[in-house]
Amino acid sequence: MFNTEFLPMSEVRKIKITLVMFFLLVITAVTIPFSIFFDYPPIVKILASIGLALAFVLILLLIRWNKIMFAVQVSIVYTIALTIFYIGGTGSFYAYLFFYIALTIIIFFQELYSYLTFGTLVVGLGTYYLFRHQADLVLIERIPGEFYVYVVILVVFYLIFLVQILYNEKLYIDLNYDWVKMNHLIEKYQDNSLSYLVELDRRNGKQPAYEDIRFQRAVGEIAVFLCEQFKENGKEILNVRDLYLYIHERGLKRILDNDEFSVATKKIANRLDKYLLNNRTDMVTMIFNFQTKFRETVPYRDNRYEYALDRIALGREEQIIALAMIYQYLASEVTRRDEWDPIGHPLTHQDIVKLMTALETDEFLTPELIAVFRDNADLFQQYLGKKS
Amino acid sequence: MERKQTYVFSEIEDYRQWLENKHLRTKNKFVLVLTLLLGAAVVTYMFLTHMDLTTTLTMMAGFLIVILVNVAMLAYGMENYRFYQMNQYITTFGVFILAISMVFVFDSPAMIASLFIAYALTAFYQDIKVMWISNAFLVFAVLALIIRYPGLLEFPNPSQESDFAVPFFFLVFVFVLTISSFILVKQKRFFYNQIALSKENEFRNIDLLIDMQNQVRGRTMDLPKYYANTAAFAKAFSAKLQMENVFQKKIDILQALDSGTPVSVLQAKYPEFTKEELDRFQDLLLGNHEKLLKLAMKISYVKDVHIKKREIFSETQFRSLNHQSDNMEIKILAFAVFYASLRRGDSFMRPLTEDEIYNVLVYTDYYYTIDPGIIRIYQENNKVFDDIVNDILGKKGKA
Repeated sequence: MFNTEFLPMSEVRKIKITLVMFFLLVITAVTIPFSIFFDYPPIVKILASIGLALAFVLILLLIRWNKIMFAVQVSIVYTIALTIFYIGGTGSFYAYLFFYIALTIIIFFQELYSYLTFGTLVVGLGTYYLFRHQADLVLIERIPGEFYVYVVILVVFYLIFLVQILYNEKLYIDLNYDWVKMNHLIEKYQDNSLSYLVELDRRNGKQPAYEDIRFQRAVGEIAVFLCEQFKENGKEILNVRDLYLYIHERGLKRILDNDEFSVATKKIANRLDKYLLNNRTDMVTMIFNFQTKFRETVPYRDNRYEYALDRIALGREEQIIALAMIYQYLASEVTRRDEWDPIGHPLTHQDIVKLMTALETDEFLTPELIAVFRDNADLFQQYLGKKS
Repeated sequence: MERKQTYVFSEIEDYRQWLENKHLRTKNKFVLVLTLLLGAAVVTYMFLTHMDLTTTLTMMAGFLIVILVNVAMLAYGMENYRFYQMNQYITTFGVFILAISMVFVFDSPAMIASLFIAYALTAFYQDIKVMWISNAFLVFAVLALIIRYPGLLEFPNPSQESDFAVPFFFLVFVFVLTISSFILVKQKRFFYNQIALSKENEFRNIDLLIDMQNQVRGRTMDLPKYYANTAAFAKAFSAKLQMENVFQKKIDILQALDSGTPVSVLQAKYPEFTKEELDRFQDLLLGNHEKLLKLAMKISYVKDVHIKKREIFSETQFRSLNHQSDNMEIKILAFAVFYASLRRGDSFMRPLTEDEIYNVLVYTDYYYTIDPGIIRIYQENNKVFDDIVNDILGKKGKA
């Protein structure tokens, strides 16, 4: 729980549901003896207790089967069922507190639609409860409209968290968008890095790792050692390793199209795909990212991640010089690759014009600079373009 | 002593803080608006119900102080972000003091829930310290009410179990709120950290790409030609606009910097430029991995990056060897491939040593990208892993 800042949302959701289960267990454990004081016939109390116990087991099973979203929904329904059990059984102040607990549990999951549906239901139930037990809570008004104060505070509590969830939802979508965009960009860099690496391997006469027998053996022995810590026959994992190497050799598609392979094998092959070494996969990304840790880098400065030209170059003249240098770079250096040209080629003037005026370039160049470029494109081409 | 887990790149700390501050201003504004609305509602209610005028005015003054402090801090925060941080704490104190005052001024159990409103308001900040201050206030206020002012919790038809149930449910409520706030703060940090990590990964991957490109092509950029072309362009550009060529001196400075001339020498030659200005020119060089080269490279890659809606919040975006959909055998094999690849090295990157890998896998965020069972076995038996690799690949990694 203390390290949730390192975990992705799916893992955090798992922790959240586990914590909620713990709370519900404590509350249910207290509710069962409490129900003695509730105004229900004994049979209702017994049936409710059995129902709660069964629902609890259901949530546990859902967590075990990794149906986390479903478990979240069931746990919210469970909380509401507990709330209903309280409001039907007592008119005391502590039942009023239960609405806040129920709302907090729903807030905990930070799911907008769950909050809108179930949160509104809880506020509705709270208002109904307050109307029904008005006499139990307010006999002589200590302040004018005391009964309405109960209702208003519950509604305000709900609304403040609604605003908060909406804000978080928007913030997390924006942050996620930036994150995904950045990941895609890094993947594009790494696509090129990988092809350069293949080229360097070829020139050095070095085999790629997946074809290197010693590497294959090392992977096998490490995997067997790890596997033996979990089960008796660790050597079974060598079949998975062989399949993994075979995918490199034959390609995933041919394995999936081959009827001789069982469905289970195809399923494993499909999941191994993201760990292959002959394409830019998650595995290659992780290896590159890890390795960069051990490469020298310049010391941190405040503008380390700044790429907008008007922030890098403050004066107008510097910006125009920089734009001229960028143009030359794009026109002279290898910046475009495709599967027929793995080493790559520079951009043509038309490519550069298209690139400079594209929407994506807005984050780097101000509209004024783009206008300077557009108005003087002929000069850029004449003096800075690649001379044939 | 066991080292605390942290992020693999220490450089991200400042950027993460910058991201937090960037959003803190918006959060401060939200809290200000909500406090303003609540203050207006409370004071209006007090006026309409003809409550004691002095009490009403005092309460109004309390709200006004909190609101004015917020406005001032928002203004100062534009100069120094620490004002935003300070504002969180001041507002938390202010809002809770107002809520506690309301409980006593109105002398009604209905008003006890105003403490929850105060908690909800300050939860907006999503800050651990604010959370602890709020908890302290809430627990203190609830305990004081139960122990010192039980009269506030007297109801027309008290039930037998209330004596136990009210404190118990208060306690449960505070506990659930605390855990909820804690996890939400951590969740927010996760996103900020991932963005900051991606920025650093991008920075380092561009460096890697530049070096690989140079090695594959076997040459670096022809910079003298670049500057000569730029000078010719600047001349033609100035002529076209019928203005003096104001570019040449700066082009000369840039070329001198690119060829390794120290700033101190240039300062003597061009006294009209300050040291800060000359230092800033360093970012505009194309050689030696400087900013302009990175920008040029980034521009050439940025086109055609398309994001599908389903990719947002997708677990696959989190690069990991611990995907829920993978079974244990796949996770083991993935780890073995990852580890052996790092130890083997490649044509560009030297093999990493066991210590280098261990320190990153065990003490940084990489720890959470591996199945807990696997990383525990690695942590306890890393020498075995080292021996296996040394036996097969040879002992070639060096720090």
